[in-house]
Amino acid sequence: MIPEFGHLILIVHLILSLLGGTLPLLAVYGNYRSLEISIKKLSFMLFILITISFLSLIYSFLVDDFSVAYVAQNSNINLPVYYKLAATWGAHEGSLVLWILAMNAWLIGFIFFTHSKDKDFLSTVFSISCQVIFAFSLFTLFTSNPFERILPIPPLNGADLNPSLQDFAFTVHPPLLYFGYSGLLIPFAIAVAAILFKKDTREWASYSRPWTLLSCSFLTLGIALGSWWAYYELGWGGWWFWDPVENAAFVPWLLSVALFHSLITSQNRGVFGKWSILLSIFAFATSLLGTFLVRSGILTSVHAFALDPERGIFLLAILAFFVIGSLFIYSITDFGHVEENKYELTSKEFGFLLNNLLLVVLAISILFGTIFPLIYEAFTGGKQISVGAPYFEIILFPFALALGLLQGVALYLSWGQSSSFSFLPRLLIESLSIFSLIILILFVLFDNLYLSSFATIFLASWILVGTLQMTKKRNLSYWNFLRKRLAVTFAHAGMAILIIGVGVVSSYSLEKEIILSPGDSTEFSDQTINFQSIDDLLGPNYTSKSAVVSFDDGSKLSNIVTEKRTYLPSGQITTEAGIQADLFKDLYVSIGDNLQSNIWSFKIQIKPFIRWIWLGALLIAIGSFLAGVKQFQRR
Amino acid sequence: MKKIIDALPLVVFASLIIVLFSFLSDKDDQLETALIDSSFPDFNLGSLSDESRVLTKQDIIKLPALINVWATWCIACRVEHPFLMKLKEESRLTIYGLNYKDNKLKALDLLERDGNPFEFSIYDFEGRLAIDLGVYGAPETFFIDKNGLIRERHVGVIDEKVWEEKFSKYLNE
Amino acid sequence: MNKLIFFLLFIICSMQISVEEKVNFDNEAYPFASDVQESLFYSLLNELRCPKCQSSNLAGSNSPISNDLKREVYELVVEGKSSKQIKDHLVDRYGNFIIYNPPIEPATYALWFGPFILILLSVLVIIFVRKRIT
Repeated sequence: MIPEFGHLILIVHLILSLLGGTLPLLAVYGNYRSLEISIKKLSFMLFILITISFLSLIYSFLVDDFSVAYVAQNSNINLPVYYKLAATWGAHEGSLVLWILAMNAWLIGFIFFTHSKDKDFLSTVFSISCQVIFAFSLFTLFTSNPFERILPIPPLNGADLNPSLQDFAFTVHPPLLYFGYSGLLIPFAIAVAAILFKKDTREWASYSRPWTLLSCSFLTLGIALGSWWAYYELGWGGWWFWDPVENAAFVPWLLSVALFHSLITSQNRGVFGKWSILLSIFAFATSLLGTFLVRSGILTSVHAFALDPERGIFLLAILAFFVIGSLFIYSITDFGHVEENKYELTSKEFGFLLNNLLLVVLAISILFGTIFPLIYEAFTGGKQISVGAPYFEIILFPFALALGLLQGVALYLSWGQSSSFSFLPRLLIESLSIFSLIILILFVLFDNLYLSSFATIFLASWILVGTLQMTKKRNLSYWNFLRKRLAVTFAHAGMAILIIGVGVVSSYSLEKEIILSPGDSTEFSDQTINFQSIDDLLGPNYTSKSAVVSFDDGSKLSNIVTEKRTYLPSGQITTEAGIQADLFKDLYVSIGDNLQSNIWSFKIQIKPFIRWIWLGALLIAIGSFLAGVKQFQRR
Repeated sequence: MKKIIDALPLVVFASLIIVLFSFLSDKDDQLETALIDSSFPDFNLGSLSDESRVLTKQDIIKLPALINVWATWCIACRVEHPFLMKLKEESRLTIYGLNYKDNKLKALDLLERDGNPFEFSIYDFEGRLAIDLGVYGAPETFFIDKNGLIRERHVGVIDEKVWEEKFSKYLNE
Repeated sequence: MNKLIFFLLFIICSMQISVEEKVNFDNEAYPFASDVQESLFYSLLNELRCPKCQSSNLAGSNSPISNDLKREVYELVVEGKSSKQIKDHLVDRYGNFIIYNPPIEPATYALWFGPFILILLSVLVIIFVRKRIT
């Protein structure tokens, strides 16, 4: 009964979102004022409905209702309760419901927190958002209904949740990511409404900015958690693969970062209005495009969801309708007189423009590289090619370098006029000092210097000094600093920390594959590795070979457990890496194959400073969250 | 001019959608074969049925032939097995097996039980010839002509349809 | 203070960058005669794609075929083959699909040079447009 109830509620939600997507527009444009509805009430109702629907899906998981096909495919009686909950959004159908829920949550936030006298404008934003929500609900109900039943003979047990998803990070990572993606709906709807109303740039930018910052914050957290998950779950110690799914999240992230920087300029100076509109549209478009690429199956990927060409066509149609539609309106609208605030080549405006160009061209390049194998195959008549990490790293580096150099000086630039560069010598000297200090620390810690890490470490020092000095230069008191500069300091310093992490881990990592039987030991770097023991364990829904490997560097002994699990329902085997995490270096061991009776292969790694990557990302997320929240307080 | 610039994002994005749509409609899962029209690689491996018999390239390039990569752990191989048996009976084409990373006893058992479509099977436990052939997994099927050149390759189950579309034309040459 | 740091930096840079002596252990899965070969081997594992898994490199896969390919790469490294020779060896068999770094050829010019041309063009355009406004 409950699944039918959830299904029914989802249909009611569909109908109401259609009303929300049409009535306000008719009222505003067709002048049928009698059709005017309370958008506050409607948005509230939509949110309640989708929440109930989602809760009934969760309920079906918790009570093991395997007559629901989606539950049967993604859960199992022996699955721990915590993962039954997470399995709700563990695959395509449920994740869509969560996505719609997230869009509704953002919409409700927008309606309740945006104070504008222009009710028609708000209604239009609401209506456009409702249209997108309607399209997603339609997509869910017609191609990916999570409430579909297997009747009359339901299976006795479910097929189980994909074992590599049975994990803490995975329970949190998708919701954050979906909230990030779906948050970009709000800037999109605002941008389209801004075109329709030919809104003043400063005004609409001020509406859009907090939501862009908050989505960016969620995207950052979601991506960072995904990276952390991949690091320990996939068992080979990589933290970023340049896999299509990762790129599908990275591209909207880059565009959302570009967008909120552009919005700062638009709001403060009234410039870049049309550019900000286009960016809003494309940030949203790439979040949909990523979904399309991942779920249509046209790109092969480790993360591949259940694939179905029908879904691909439907998603492409949604994408085409909204994005081509809005770009069409954009192209035929005559914006008339645009405020022309002049600015010099070394002004802050120009700095933001450069930042935007770099981010946007980088995003386009990554998107292009991601779909390039398909283009290549089409043009060469079936020849195949892989575009992976080595390519993307080569492309990323010069862009990151230019962006980082710009970031270091960006805060010193002045609005409109030419900036004074008297700060440069000091910035250079201080960042060189910090650079030398970091190099010295690395040398003390690892007894080794790698020239390949120098550029990234200098870049990080440059950004760090540029960010922290600025707060000093402004002579802000402690409280004023907290009030005014905290967000940007967090975000920019976070970027510096992330870059240090990336630079060090990519140069200083060590890895080796070894073969040991219990009791054996071997040397690795300054560590003595000892294979202590291997035991059979029985988990709630898996059996496991659990090996204890000790690392001893003479002063500290760490026993690390790594497991090879065989999940019972599916027979799927996963490797659980053992990690001794530390701020300066991770000791990483993952168990390999059982070669002979009790001889095992292991992959051992030392990953210096890898935590800094996620620490940096966390700071960026906090920074953009604070910046977003600050925008509400301002009004 | 201004109009053209304003329409540019629309044109670019619309073409992207069209391109993506075309990818969606002609999605082909076949893997590329790097070795088409090149000579069958040299090898030196034992026979599945007789360990002492050493097989080399010279043993298989005398006549046009099919080389089928198979294993007992490969479920799809059992699906295509009856077709290979039928092919052996109906055409006079020689079929060689490449037994890939398999248990020898299980493999011989299977041939005993379900019939043996192969002239002989090369026993490639370590997957060495498979790497030289660019094999991704089992089943895969190669066609070599009388000059010992690889002319066609199929990844996955071979059946009547695949045979007609990809392989039968070579028999008439 | 700054001078002191510069001086320290100078000392560090002029120091012999330490190279650990290579000791061979029986329990290495892939023993090498030199560090150069070893680092070549592990960097190749990160650049080569596991053909069966569709989206993972050899380092990240324990599937039978990637173990075979690791062995193949290992043997070629030990034979003293260069990075390019080993990649060519595998590309001859598996096609360019096997390497994550696409070759530079006319069909990939757009991939390799597109990003840089695009950024140069757009920077030129904004400088040009800005001058018109002023």
